[in-house]
Amino acid sequence: MLLSLKWLGRYVDLSDKSPQEIANDLTMHTAEIEEILPFGEQLSEIVVGEVLECGKHPDADKLSKTLVDFGGDEPLPVICGAPNVAQGQKIAYIGVKKRLPDGTKIKKSKIRGELSYGMICSERELGLSDEHEGILVLDSAAVPGRPLTDYLPIQDTLLEIDNKSITHRPDLWGHYGFARELAALYGKELADPLEGMNPNFPVAGETLDVDMKRAKRGCHRYCGLVLRDIEVRQSPEWMRYLLLAVGQRPLNNIVDLTNFLLLDLGQPMHAFDMGRLKGKGGAEHPEISVRFASLGETMKTLDGMERRLGEDDLLICDGEAPVALAGIMGGEHSMVEADTTSAFLESASFDAATIRRSSMRLGLRSESSTRFEKSLDPALCELAVQKFLALLPEVSPGAHATGPMTDPAAWSYEQKYVELRPTRVNRILGLELSPQQIVDFLEPLGFGMDEAGEDLFRVAIPSYRATKDVSIEEDLIEELGRCYGYDNIPPVAPLQPVTVPYREPELVLTHKLKHIFAHDSDALEAKNYTFLADEHIERLGLEDLPYVRVTNAIASHLSRLQRDVMPGLLMSMADNLRREKFVSLFEIDKGYYPEVRGEVLERDGVTKSLPFEVVQLVHIVADRNQGSEHPYHRVRGHLEHALKCIGRPQLDAIQLDAPPPWMHPGRTAAFVDPTDHSRVVAYVGDVHPKIIERLSLDLPKKGGGVAALMIDLRQLLAVPRQEITYRCKPRYQDQPVDLAILAPKEMQAAEVTRVLEGAHPRLLREVKLFEVYRGQGLPEGKKSLNFTAVLGSDKRTLTTADEERFIDRVRELVAEIGCELRG
Amino acid sequence: MNPELESLRTQITEEIHSAPDLQTLKEVERRALGKKGALTALLRQLGKVPAEERPAFGKAVNDLKVELTALLIARQEEFRKSELEARLTRGDFDPTEPGMPYDGGRLHPLTQVTEDLVRVFLGMGFAALDGPNVEFEYYNFDALNIPGDHPARESQDTFWLDDGNLLRTHTSPVQIRAMEKFEPPFRAIVPGRCFRNEAVDASHEHTFYQMEGLVVDRDISVAHLIYTMKTCLREIMKRDLEVRLRPGFFPFVEPGFELDVTCPFCEGKGCSVCKQTGWIELLPCGMVHPSVLRHGGLDPEEWTGFAFGLGLQRLAMVSFGINDIRDFTGGDVRFLSQFYHR
Repeated sequence: MLLSLKWLGRYVDLSDKSPQEIANDLTMHTAEIEEILPFGEQLSEIVVGEVLECGKHPDADKLSKTLVDFGGDEPLPVICGAPNVAQGQKIAYIGVKKRLPDGTKIKKSKIRGELSYGMICSERELGLSDEHEGILVLDSAAVPGRPLTDYLPIQDTLLEIDNKSITHRPDLWGHYGFARELAALYGKELADPLEGMNPNFPVAGETLDVDMKRAKRGCHRYCGLVLRDIEVRQSPEWMRYLLLAVGQRPLNNIVDLTNFLLLDLGQPMHAFDMGRLKGKGGAEHPEISVRFASLGETMKTLDGMERRLGEDDLLICDGEAPVALAGIMGGEHSMVEADTTSAFLESASFDAATIRRSSMRLGLRSESSTRFEKSLDPALCELAVQKFLALLPEVSPGAHATGPMTDPAAWSYEQKYVELRPTRVNRILGLELSPQQIVDFLEPLGFGMDEAGEDLFRVAIPSYRATKDVSIEEDLIEELGRCYGYDNIPPVAPLQPVTVPYREPELVLTHKLKHIFAHDSDALEAKNYTFLADEHIERLGLEDLPYVRVTNAIASHLSRLQRDVMPGLLMSMADNLRREKFVSLFEIDKGYYPEVRGEVLERDGVTKSLPFEVVQLVHIVADRNQGSEHPYHRVRGHLEHALKCIGRPQLDAIQLDAPPPWMHPGRTAAFVDPTDHSRVVAYVGDVHPKIIERLSLDLPKKGGGVAALMIDLRQLLAVPRQEITYRCKPRYQDQPVDLAILAPKEMQAAEVTRVLEGAHPRLLREVKLFEVYRGQGLPEGKKSLNFTAVLGSDKRTLTTADEERFIDRVRELVAEIGCELRG
Repeated sequence: MNPELESLRTQITEEIHSAPDLQTLKEVERRALGKKGALTALLRQLGKVPAEERPAFGKAVNDLKVELTALLIARQEEFRKSELEARLTRGDFDPTEPGMPYDGGRLHPLTQVTEDLVRVFLGMGFAALDGPNVEFEYYNFDALNIPGDHPARESQDTFWLDDGNLLRTHTSPVQIRAMEKFEPPFRAIVPGRCFRNEAVDASHEHTFYQMEGLVVDRDISVAHLIYTMKTCLREIMKRDLEVRLRPGFFPFVEPGFELDVTCPFCEGKGCSVCKQTGWIELLPCGMVHPSVLRHGGLDPEEWTGFAFGLGLQRLAMVSFGINDIRDFTGGDVRFLSQFYHR
């Protein structure tokens, strides 16, 4: 919203304050000022000219050839098409190479053979009105060469308010509200909005019946007034210029006056042409009703759009049909036009939520709906009608109200009070305000201060702050804080008990895992959306899974939530692999399973639940270097390293029974809780060949591949941490023994390892599989598992005999499970 | 001296001096002092020397051996020294040749910014908490003083889900969850992902990262809020900056503020980034609304508190100079590999 300083000046004297000062003070105490804009500068290139000569264009009937003195070295010829141009006039002249307010650059031109230097401007060309029939004629005292703005009272300074910063302040949607703030802020006199006016209605006479019975909660108050003997014409200059300055195009005196009051008091009004309003069943005298639309009902708004309505849209109707979409926009056929002589003026108070929903559903926002959405003060309805009536004679002499104001709701403000304790004020603000200071801050804003007891005020809330803005003690504390200036509150260190801050275990684990994967395993951390795009679901063939769906998605890539983190990272990997030969990524994020019940909330007898939430770390390594090793072992190594680093090295690795569709069903290992194999903590394996195909990954014929792992953070936290048991450095030399064990191809390494671990529990320190050989030179159907066993004792140096006994024992034991110790 | 010895001495001394390298010197040593060397051969002839001359001859040979050995060692030292000197010259060493390429991993810039903040707040005694991204309407709105017909519900452009829940529009629901979980007094931060159903461009995202802060104690005031924010922002922005508090409206705080900091680009002098004001709007904050405290099960007469929310992308964009908010998402390695700080 734009605020005109000239407009504010009608109510509060700001002559001793600079625009910067005002803007800064409003920002610090009331609402954010985004910009200070000078107004009138767009006319800075236009000067006063005098028409020295004026004659017919030799070759065009409708054009005049003039000679204009614009204060330059010599007068220049200008061709002018306006019928009202005449010798001796003082006019608005724009020279060659200068720009009009709309940006048009004036060029030297030849019009029907006659040279023309510059232009004599109409009000439309100056952006002042729609008047383009004739040129603007200035006062005869204007001096040629002087800036036009010296003679037009148009110059102003505008403050641009951030509308978001006043959504909670229904009283600030017009100039008067800001004037009130500034008067309070500067300790100045605030003029009454009706100062010097006579706002009395006729006590009897013609009125128009307004039926609000079917408006229910949609309309709090509806004031109406019948006006006759109107002459629709241009508004007075001062009003047009104020409207222009704040970006409101002047139309005609009646519409301009409603717009002026909208921007002045913040009260939207609408003027219907009485002649176009109909009575019931063809009756001559029109009537008005406020009601909700029926489903499917339509009406044409004054922007020419046909609107299809629903049962929550509020309408203003005459005896036959809707004439306005209440609080949002008038109808096409009932607006005031050039031939209007009588009007019905509406000044109502509509329900904020009704207007907001209607306006959102119809995608139609207006200056009016924007204000009603904020819960306007119903007292404003009457004030605005009074002010309209008071200003009417000035804009349309002779026009008058024919009868009293209709006000069927007979609304009156039921005084509201809020109790305020000075000790509470000081406790919340961290200040030491005296009761007198509190009174001095609040009274200028219109609050009634009644000392109701020791440390207690009974504060009377003015109607314009009572609709939703100020209803509890904290609201008044806010008023005091902002008036005092939050910035003037001295900072104080809080006194708090010394405690060790709690850290969510899941956040601690997330932090550790991120560092392990980024800094030990050299992977890049990615972040993908929680949404899984329809396109990606299709691409990966995951359509059959259930997803949590967004009901108001604005695009197909925002319509479903991911179940697992892997699909999103697979897409990232594929994108990168088009450019890179090698990609190593990881991500930690959450996924949602709609078919499983998650957190449950019971409130007011209703039970609701969240979808089951998983927190997953996924890591993918993709390699398309010719002849390179498949990354499975690398990724598996990363997993084992990570599990060790976070104190869970004890997990068992087993074949994953039902791997997710993106993993190779035969080549995926699950890491499970050793005490409960159904608790899958992690999986690692090859990415499914079908996925690789679907993602069109350009893998080499030989070598390369894509491997992935997933760690379920919550399952991991459910497995007890294994603490490190320190063993002192060996006093005697450890003895490493290499063991090559020929095993059937299908036998799992873990089985052989377990057997080896039992071979000599007393001396065996460690068994490590360092290689699995499946190459040439082995009997059919066999593989060689190559281990290093470390023997050691804390009591003595081992002998060859110890080693031999161990080897013999290994030989026996592996033979029992169908293996053979080679060499 | 024995003329034979004398000539041997002259000859070997000469050979030692003229040996061009260590290898030749070793050869000289072997020929002179080795098992089959000249001096050893002389000593072997000791038996043939008349008995009375033997001691003198023996001594003379020995003396010569000592003398030559010393000469050899000295000469060897010379060679070692010049050899070392030769090795210490630069040769074709090129100090600008890069090392073996090492592509280490990286933390996402948002992770880095978040971890920095968490560290600062942990140091100030704040607990670190988390909450679900798919959230109950109750925690996201009702409990935060945003009832069913409140305009903020629509202005927050909520993603509504088919199960009646929603994607949280801010990290603030965790305020209530924290009040339910912990006995006051407490201080907590909540870094996390939030969602707003809006169109994406270089500076707007439907997915964004926020860090909520909450302090609840018996007598928490605006003065404490100002102190705390000033202290932590100076640490986070790593410069001495001014903060200013001005009115701002958020339904779950009362009073509510916008907190501005001196513009880091012009140090408050006024530039295009801060629209010549010298200030940058950094975070919304305020005193916890009494109805929010009540929803969290706390009595507002007994407990007060303040809360704030920090936009993490914005902070990351400022600290790394990232100019398109969309770059954060998607896992493009050309983006991710740039943030090599740890």
